[in-house]
Amino acid sequence: MAAPASAYKDRQFLAVIGDEDSVTGLLLAGIGHVTAPPDAQKNFLVVDSKTDNAAIEEAFDRFTTERKDIGILLINQHIAERIRHRVDSYTAAFPALLEIPSKDHPYDPEKDSVLRRVRRLFGE
Amino acid sequence: MSGAGNREAVFPTRQSLGLMKSKLKGAQTGHDLLKRKSEALTKRFREITRRIDEAKRKMGRVMQIAAFSLAEVTYAVGGDIGYQVQESAKSARFRIRTKQENVSGVFLPAFESFTTEGNNDFGLTGLGKGGQQVQRCRETYARAVETLVELASLQTAFVILDEVIKVVNRRVNAIEHVIIPRTENTIKYINSELDELDREEFFRLKKVQNKKQRDNAQQDAEMLAKREAAAEQEKQESDKENAESTPDILGEQEDEDVIF
Amino acid sequence: MEGLLFNVNNGYIEGIVRGYRNSLLTGQNYSNLTQCETIDDLKLQLGPAYGDFLASLPPNPSTSTLAARTTDKLISEFRYVRANAVGSLAKFMDYLTYGYMIDNVALLITGTLHERDTRELLDRCHPLGWFETMPVLCVATNIEELYNSVLIETPLAPYFKGSLSHQDLDELNIEIVRNTLYKNYLEDFHNFVNTDPDMAGTPTSEVMTEMLEFEADRRAINITLNSFGTELTKADRKKLYPNFGRLYPEGTFMLSRAEDIEGVRLAVEGVNDYKTYFDATGMGQGSGTGAGNMSGGAGGEGKSLEDMFYQKEMEISKGAFTRQFTYAIVYAWVKLREQEIRNITWIAECIAQNQKERIGNYISVF
Repeated sequence: MAAPASAYKDRQFLAVIGDEDSVTGLLLAGIGHVTAPPDAQKNFLVVDSKTDNAAIEEAFDRFTTERKDIGILLINQHIAERIRHRVDSYTAAFPALLEIPSKDHPYDPEKDSVLRRVRRLFGE
Repeated sequence: MSGAGNREAVFPTRQSLGLMKSKLKGAQTGHDLLKRKSEALTKRFREITRRIDEAKRKMGRVMQIAAFSLAEVTYAVGGDIGYQVQESAKSARFRIRTKQENVSGVFLPAFESFTTEGNNDFGLTGLGKGGQQVQRCRETYARAVETLVELASLQTAFVILDEVIKVVNRRVNAIEHVIIPRTENTIKYINSELDELDREEFFRLKKVQNKKQRDNAQQDAEMLAKREAAAEQEKQESDKENAESTPDILGEQEDEDVIF
Repeated sequence: MEGLLFNVNNGYIEGIVRGYRNSLLTGQNYSNLTQCETIDDLKLQLGPAYGDFLASLPPNPSTSTLAARTTDKLISEFRYVRANAVGSLAKFMDYLTYGYMIDNVALLITGTLHERDTRELLDRCHPLGWFETMPVLCVATNIEELYNSVLIETPLAPYFKGSLSHQDLDELNIEIVRNTLYKNYLEDFHNFVNTDPDMAGTPTSEVMTEMLEFEADRRAINITLNSFGTELTKADRKKLYPNFGRLYPEGTFMLSRAEDIEGVRLAVEGVNDYKTYFDATGMGQGSGTGAGNMSGGAGGEGKSLEDMFYQKEMEISKGAFTRQFTYAIVYAWVKLREQEIRNITWIAECIAQNQKERIGNYISVF
């Protein structure tokens, strides 16, 4: 059942949905990429308290389904919390979805959708 | 499951019995192999889940350190560089590529990070002040992202293995609980049908034999009678001859009715 | 001589600013702050100094909102002082704000270049760098328009004139634009304090010259150090050095030719202070490779060069208060206050992120 190579060979970018500090840091690490104009698409989204959930979901969909060049999607855990149903129902292998902690919200393994699956599988 | 109806639609012939038997054998071998594969994968799977658990905790720490280095930048630059960084991002320096790893016939993709040379969107960030902190922060974050990439590989492996193990287990179960009983049923059915046929054949043979015997007996009896009749006739004829030899045909001797 | 008439116009301001200076956090306060376990504790400790401004904060505020509130206090005090300032002091204080304006303008240029909605950016601008025509900048949709009709109206226009064309805004890295403006600004400010009839030959020009020279040198050194390994050429780099300062002209010339940290160290050798910093941070004694903006941050442990510069800046600022009848105390006070905000933010970050071992990295001079 190995995924066909075409499913991931073009995936060479990381994408991020996060608060300003997380995004800034990750961009400094050099993951930021803006595709060529005219449809300049960024691979990151800054979420603050004013961003509504619809925008987050839209970005989530764009990064997970529309774009084929993203291999890993990083999302702040507290933001994943806001669209939890979407994150939990996301099961595809590509792009890999990773919940990361943010500065103000330390990492809570209890909320992580993958870790929860791990726990469920082992009946813990 | 093992109801009488649960069998394959075959004609109960010896040929299909042979087919079914080899099918059963195949199914059993397949079952063993798949079971072993599933065990190997599950072992791997457990290892990966353990590593995910560890890596997730490690990530917590690494990201904290990274966030702290960003705080240092804020301190040194004396302002917010967030917007500027977001706007000057153009082309990814930090990219990933995927390679494959073969675990019991399953290809697990693993991410590998690499940095492209030559493009540096943030080389001049913090030129006036704080450049060294920006630089340190970039390195810290690059290391953090490497950890994240590692974790992402594990997680992808986790998702794929999970899927594969489910499929394999489904197959194992299908073979164990559906295909094998069904084939066995079919064999049983063919056997019983064949037995039935055997018995029928036997009975038929017996009937035939009976009839043959009866016919034979009749024939024998007829033959016997014939032979007796012939003998009689012969006797009569010889008598007649005798009588002719003593010619007193119209005499005291009446004509006998000749029965043929 | 200056003592005779200074108080006529500026006595009140001086009194106020000296009062503000006394309310700055002292070493004792800082050591109390570092003992805090949570941000709420910290808030409580800051109560006497920042009372009203922190009162509206929710429990356990984020460090950025804390920083924003503490900045608010500086802004409101600055505005009060500015409103009471007259004559050349008012102009002096305007000059003070130009530095922040440069940051704001750079931000807006970045926004315009990327065709963002610049209105959102107004919130991000530093309030001290606010000028009346700033919202107008948001009207411009392309860079040529911005340059020709909007930037000309700002107080920063002279800094653009002659050194940057509108094509430059489009092509050059915003950091270069920013540093070019800053260079022009520092030179202009330096010129202003030394030529204005109210200030020339007074303690103001003395103290301010020292401060601005230090600022100029610091920028020159930083730009040099940070440009190693980047696409910034030596010729372009040279254009960013302010044309005054204790390093000017020989040191600056040598800086412009420096290729590694060793070169920078040689360049600053003539000025004892900077030489000590380099020795203290252990930079330039190694093989001369490895540091720079691209190839690895220098010195992870102990104080960085940056810290040393901040320390020096604070000492100069503290020293400014020993003089009387000078505008420089306003400048010094703003700088001290900014450092205090940075310190508080730093301590708050350390507490929030549980990195207590580095909490002592703040700079306190009182």
